[in-house]
Amino acid sequence: MKSKILALLGSALLTGTAMAGGYQVNLASQRQIGMGHTGTGLLTGTSSIFFNPGAMSHIGYSGVTIGGSALVSRIAYSAPESGGVTARTDNPLGTPFQVYGVYNINEKFSAGLGVYTPFGSTVNWGDEWSGRYGLNQLKLQAIYVQPTISYAITDKLGIGVGLSYVIGSVNLQRSLPVQSQDGTEGGIELDGSAESAFGFNAGIFFQPTEKLSIGVNYRSKVNLSVEGGDVMFSNIPAAARGNFPDGTTFNAELPMPSTLSVGIGFKPNERLTLAADVSHVGWDAYEKLRFDFSQNVGGSPFSEASRNYENAFIYRIGGEYMATDALALRAGAYLDKTPVQDGYLTPETPDSDSRGLSAGIGYSVSENFSIDASFLYINRKERTDAANLSGGIPGTFKAVAYIPGIGLNFKF
Amino acid sequence: MKKSLYTSSALALLAGVLLTSCDPDIDTPASSAGEADFTKYIAVGNSLTAGQGDGGVYREGQLNSYPAIMAEQFRTVGGGEFTQPLFTEEQRNGTGYLRLAGFTAQGAPITANVTDNLAIRSASPRLYTKYLEPINNLAVPDIKVADIKTAGYGSTQGNPHFERITPDNNASQTYLQRVQQSTDHTFFSLWLGNNDVLSYATSGGAFSGGMLNSPARTITPTATFDANYSELLTALTAGGQEGIIATIPDVTAIPFFTTVGPSVQQLLTANNIPGMVALTGSGSSRIQIATSQINAAQNGVYFLLTSSAYAPLVGQPTGRYWRELARQVSPSQDANVVRLTLAGLLANFQIDTTAMFGLSAGNPVPSALILDAAEQQNVRTATEAFNNIIKAQADARNLALFDANAYFNTVKTGFGKNGVAYSPAFITGNLFSLDGVHPTPRGYAFVANEMIRAINSKYGANVPTVDETQYRTVLFPVQ
Repeated sequence: MKSKILALLGSALLTGTAMAGGYQVNLASQRQIGMGHTGTGLLTGTSSIFFNPGAMSHIGYSGVTIGGSALVSRIAYSAPESGGVTARTDNPLGTPFQVYGVYNINEKFSAGLGVYTPFGSTVNWGDEWSGRYGLNQLKLQAIYVQPTISYAITDKLGIGVGLSYVIGSVNLQRSLPVQSQDGTEGGIELDGSAESAFGFNAGIFFQPTEKLSIGVNYRSKVNLSVEGGDVMFSNIPAAARGNFPDGTTFNAELPMPSTLSVGIGFKPNERLTLAADVSHVGWDAYEKLRFDFSQNVGGSPFSEASRNYENAFIYRIGGEYMATDALALRAGAYLDKTPVQDGYLTPETPDSDSRGLSAGIGYSVSENFSIDASFLYINRKERTDAANLSGGIPGTFKAVAYIPGIGLNFKF
Repeated sequence: MKKSLYTSSALALLAGVLLTSCDPDIDTPASSAGEADFTKYIAVGNSLTAGQGDGGVYREGQLNSYPAIMAEQFRTVGGGEFTQPLFTEEQRNGTGYLRLAGFTAQGAPITANVTDNLAIRSASPRLYTKYLEPINNLAVPDIKVADIKTAGYGSTQGNPHFERITPDNNASQTYLQRVQQSTDHTFFSLWLGNNDVLSYATSGGAFSGGMLNSPARTITPTATFDANYSELLTALTAGGQEGIIATIPDVTAIPFFTTVGPSVQQLLTANNIPGMVALTGSGSSRIQIATSQINAAQNGVYFLLTSSAYAPLVGQPTGRYWRELARQVSPSQDANVVRLTLAGLLANFQIDTTAMFGLSAGNPVPSALILDAAEQQNVRTATEAFNNIIKAQADARNLALFDANAYFNTVKTGFGKNGVAYSPAFITGNLFSLDGVHPTPRGYAFVANEMIRAINSKYGANVPTVDETQYRTVLFPVQ
């Protein structure tokens, strides 16, 4: 029985390892961010590579777009029943980016290449807060590279498809509940790059009249898997080192869920464009988070925590008004329903229904060069959860994000 | 150029201000004292209230005592200074205590005594550096309810912890009189009575009567407990003060009693030994212990943490326990006197040290190393009687009650909080210190939070609880 003491040291690792919650990042085009990130039913320019490859053959030019956002997110935490135990994240600046290039081969065909970051999450709670055995810090990144081809069946109907080549990485750090006489506390860090994976992005675009356009877009699920990622331990006292062996590696899998979107565009007059989108995100692919270790960690060869996400909808509206021939003013809003069920909240992305408000401007410097700027404010509903099913940290979470962005468009 | 620099830095400043002022906020109910008045809080109790842990009282433990934790939280709702008889930084190791030195090859913990920076001013009788300033934490380790009216309890011949805070010119003062001196407190906590059963239990009932009778290790008569406890509360509430009192936990909820048994059981099972022979109570009567009785819920037997040194000797011809006991109880350390004492002990308990230790009627497991079913019944009966008195007093005097007995019973099965597993398990359970009886600072933080909840509920207050993870558990050697 006494030898069990050693086997049990720091075993809380097993009570719930976790990763990202609603980790989708919808920041694919500076123009569209300004319009509430609508675009499935619009000709969005080169970013149709992302929003709807079916529309790409209808944009009628070749061009390149480069853009990026500065994502500032803040999360506050308050422990259950106490105003005395609180924490705040100190998240580094996130930098989602997008590059699109479209070559108009002829009237019927166009080809393009997009590089964008539709999933990711960076959250840093530090190693002193009450939930540190759940999470110190998480960095999750996925980059999609998508060669795309689009065909205009008629001047009203287009189809397109792209092959997504996906690379990604994950870094997760948490404290271990084992303390040394020098006052330090143990830590574990999981760090790995995902094996490259593939998916697709397909769309149909239909423009029955000058004023009306509709689109349907489907981005497939992509499973990212890490094989042979590094498991690193720090400040483990001698007696517990057997439980946290150096040189351990891990395997893990994380789904980037499918997204089906339907969008509509309406131009009541020459200067005004209105758009609305509904997206259905296949979050139910994310059932659990499991790490398999090459050697026992905390006495077990794996660690598993339930996630049981449910599919969720996103509703978007947006508009663009051409104030002059060169200046576009944009605004939009959206409601992103949470995929996280009650009892499953985690500190990685303490998800709840989030509301986005956006504004943007576009300015055409010349025939061939224009600039877009956007600002998006995201406000997640305050959410209190027992986190009893996910092994998360119970309490109340509230998150906001401020996301300015800029994009440059070149036409040839 | 200059202007654009100015503009951009102004914009950056504006952005910075906007972003920091736009931090998300969570509205929490405001802290309040409710009907309670925490202006001057005093704590009355024993070692638990003093912050004892790891088998000693030392500065770090004092700083993390549950009254100190609560007082810190009271300050957010009008509480004042809370002074404890702290050992100085130079004498920070106080009485000395146990630290974890490592583990044996088999994984058994090895503890070592911390012997530097002590506050011992006399080795025999054991006395500590005096602390005579006014204090809010009046806790005296080892004190029983039965002791509170004992004159001379604070003398050099009494309890060294009470002697430490008692003025030399008032050595005959009783603990009750010391408490009665406090008249201007506005709130109090009282957690006393544990030792009235615990000292009997932690000595396996071996010194309650018979040749080795020791009043300190005897269960307090219920009538004495009732009268003394009531008098103490009368003193504490003389000015109509509010406060919280706490019940006595079940001894089987602490690792001191539950840790060693399973290893003994394993040893017996591995060797197909159906049972053992042991002494019961304070006399020479033998009982049979079936292997299956060890740590059993019904009719069970607990091996005390103090038995861990002797457990490996089971089956061997050994008189080690009796030799060590003889040295302890012998009136002199003269070899001849010790030898005579040993002979007396062996005769009284009818011990044959050449017989197999623990497995034969000739060399049974000493009573002081186990708590058998009959002794547990004595403990249970007394605990229940004392707790009924405490609860009745809480009702009668309309005080907040922390039912420590109920709380530690829920802890028995273990629980998880914020990704950490807690249980009464020794070392790995995170709640109990290396002596197996007293909580770790983390354990004391849980106790403080439970008390705060009871106070909040009784007095309509909203004293914030603390983040338990800011308080340490058992510390391990780096190497």
